[in-house]
Amino acid sequence: MQAKVAVNQKTGKSIDDAFASHFAKSMFLAVCGLVFLSFIGTRMFTHVDLNLYGYMVGTFIFIGGFFYRFIAWGERPPTKVFIKKGIKILLRRSTPKTTVEHLATYNFIWNRGIYRWTQHVLMGWGCILSCFVTFPLVFGWMYFTMDENGYYNIIAMGIQVMTVPADGLIAKLSYNALNITAVMVISGVCMALYRRLKNMQARAEQQFMYDFLPLFMLLLVSVTGLALTFMNIFMHGAGQPAMSLIHQWSVIITLIYLPFGKLAHIPFRPMSVFARNYREHYAEQSMKGCKVCGNEFVSTEQSKDVIEVLGRNDIEFQAKEGHHLAEMCLPCRRKYRIAQFSGFPIHEVKVKEANQDAKG
Amino acid sequence: MKKRLYLELENCIGCRSCLAACTQCGGHEERNRNYVYDVNPLVNRQTMPLMCLHCVNPACARSCPAQAIQIHETGAVLSALVEKCIGCQNCTIACPYGIPKFDTEQNLMYKCDLCIDRTKNGIPPMCASVCPSNTLQWLTDEEIGNRKKQFNLDNGKWVSSLPYLESETNVKVNLPGILQGIEKLF
Ligand code: HEM
Ligand code: SF4
Ligand code: SF4
Repeated sequence: MQAKVAVNQKTGKSIDDAFASHFAKSMFLAVCGLVFLSFIGTRMFTHVDLNLYGYMVGTFIFIGGFFYRFIAWGERPPTKVFIKKGIKILLRRSTPKTTVEHLATYNFIWNRGIYRWTQHVLMGWGCILSCFVTFPLVFGWMYFTMDENGYYNIIAMGIQVMTVPADGLIAKLSYNALNITAVMVISGVCMALYRRLKNMQARAEQQFMYDFLPLFMLLLVSVTGLALTFMNIFMHGAGQPAMSLIHQWSVIITLIYLPFGKLAHIPFRPMSVFARNYREHYAEQSMKGCKVCGNEFVSTEQSKDVIEVLGRNDIEFQAKEGHHLAEMCLPCRRKYRIAQFSGFPIHEVKVKEANQDAKG
Repeated sequence: MKKRLYLELENCIGCRSCLAACTQCGGHEERNRNYVYDVNPLVNRQTMPLMCLHCVNPACARSCPAQAIQIHETGAVLSALVEKCIGCQNCTIACPYGIPKFDTEQNLMYKCDLCIDRTKNGIPPMCASVCPSNTLQWLTDEEIGNRKKQFNLDNGKWVSSLPYLESETNVKVNLPGILQGIEKLF
C-alpha cells in the first residue's frame, strides 16, 4: 500500500513526476532507447529494411506487455526484496561464474536429467542466437553491404566491423545463421514434446495451455522460418511473400504472448543469480541460529526478510515461546508442530530426527 | 463430490507406508515429500505423520519472489514450477510447519502437491490410498461432519484447526482420542 501512495504523490521536484506511473516511465525510456539505437545503427535512418516493419511494431507491443507484467510482479513484497538487494550486491567475485552456470550452461537442469538439459540447450540457445541475429537486423543495428569484388561488409552500429569473401565460411554461417538456429529449436521442441507425451512425470503435471502452447508457438516460428529458406532455394521464391507474412505473424504473436505464459521465465530467470548472491552474501555476514537447537540454518538477513514479507501479507507466526516460527530450523519447526498436537515438547528432546526419506 | 485429506493423527502406527507411496506418485521423481515423527521417542512408540496442510492463505506462496508456487482450483498448494523456481528458499523459511524440501543440486524446491493429477480427478492421494491405520483418509465434507458427530465432543475443539495450527487449512486435522482424553482401542 505504502508503495502505491508514494508513486501517486506528486511533489513536482523529481524527474519521476513527469510520468503518470512506473509503467509510463519505463515504456518511455525503452522506446527512446530503441529509437536512439536505431537512429545511430541505420546511419540516421538511411538503411531501414521496411520488410521487417511488422517485427518493429511487434517489438513495441511486446515491450508494453513486458513492462506491464514485470512491474506488477516487481511490486510484490518478496520480489522487491530480491531485486533491491540483488542489485546492491551484484558485484561479487562469484557473480560471473554463477551467471554462466545459471543462464548459459544450465548446470542445474543437467542435474535434473541430461535429456531435459539437451532439450533446453537446443531451445534456449536456438532462441537466444536467433534474437542476436534478428533484432539488430530489424532495428537496423546491423546490416550487410556487398562490394563489387565479391566481398561482403558486415556493418554493426554504423561501423564496418568485417569484410569477408561472399562465399567464405563466415559469410555462409551468417546467411545460414537463422536456419541453423531454427533446426536447433525444432529439435529441442520435438524432444520436449516427446517427453511431454511419454514421460509420466511430465504428464502428471502438464496443462495444454501452459505447457504445450509455447512449444507449438516455437515450432510454428521455426518451421515457417525454415520454409522461407526452402521456398527461396528450391521453389525460386514461389509462395514466399505469403509465408513471410505467416512467419512474421507467428513471431509477433509469440513475442506478445511471451511475458504472460511459460516463456515469461526467460526475462525472469536472471533473478536466480540475484537469489544465489543473496544467499551467499548474507550467509557470510551472519547466520541465524535456531531458537530451539541453535543450529545455523539460514542467514539472519533472510530470516528477517521472510518475517517482514509475511507480515506485509498479514501473516504472523508468533510462537507462544515468544519467537517467530521462521526463527526455528526446519526439523525443529516440524517437531514443534507435533508437540502442539501431542502436548509433549519433542522438539526439546535431544534425539536425532528419524530418517524421513523413503529410500530404505 | 469434493473430498479432502483428513488426518486422525493418533491412529498412526509408524509404518511409513505414506512416505513410500509418496515416492511413487507421477511427478514426484521418486522422492517423498511428507514426514513421520516420533511423539515421545524415549518413552513410547507413538508416531504422527506431518504433511503439507494446504493452507488457505499459504505462507510459502506468499513469500515466493518468483510466483513459482501456484494454488490449484481445488485448493491444493502446488510444488514449485520447474522453470520458475529461482532457488531462494524463502518458502522453506516461511512455512510454519517446515514442509517444503529443497534440492540444491537441481536448484529446485519440491513439496507435497496433494498428488494433483490424482486428486483433481477425485482419486485419493497416494498417502491416503495406502495408509493401513486410517490415519490418512480421503473424505467428503459430509463424511467429516459425521465423524464430528461420532466423536461427540462438547469442548468445541473438534477439527483442531486453530488452537493447533497457525491458520485455516484445506487438509483437516483431528485428534479425537487425545482431545477426549481417552486411549483408542483398535
Ligand atoms: C535465460 C536463460 C534461461 C533459463 C535459466 C531457463 C530455465 C529453464 C528451466 C529451469 C526450465 C525447466 C526445465 C526442466 O526442468 O525440465 C525451462 C523450461 C523451458 N524453457 Fe527455459 N530458460 C532460459 C531461456 C529460455 C529460452 C531463451 C527459451 C526459448 C524459447 C526457453 C524455453 C523453454 C521452454 C519451452 C521450456 C519448457 C520445456 C518443457 O516443455 O519441458 N528458455 N527453462
Ligand atoms: S503447510 Fe507450508 S508448504 Fe503447505 S501450503 Fe501451508 S505454508 Fe505452504
Ligand atoms: S525456493 Fe523456489 S519456490 Fe521457494 S520461494 Fe524461492 S523461488 Fe519460490
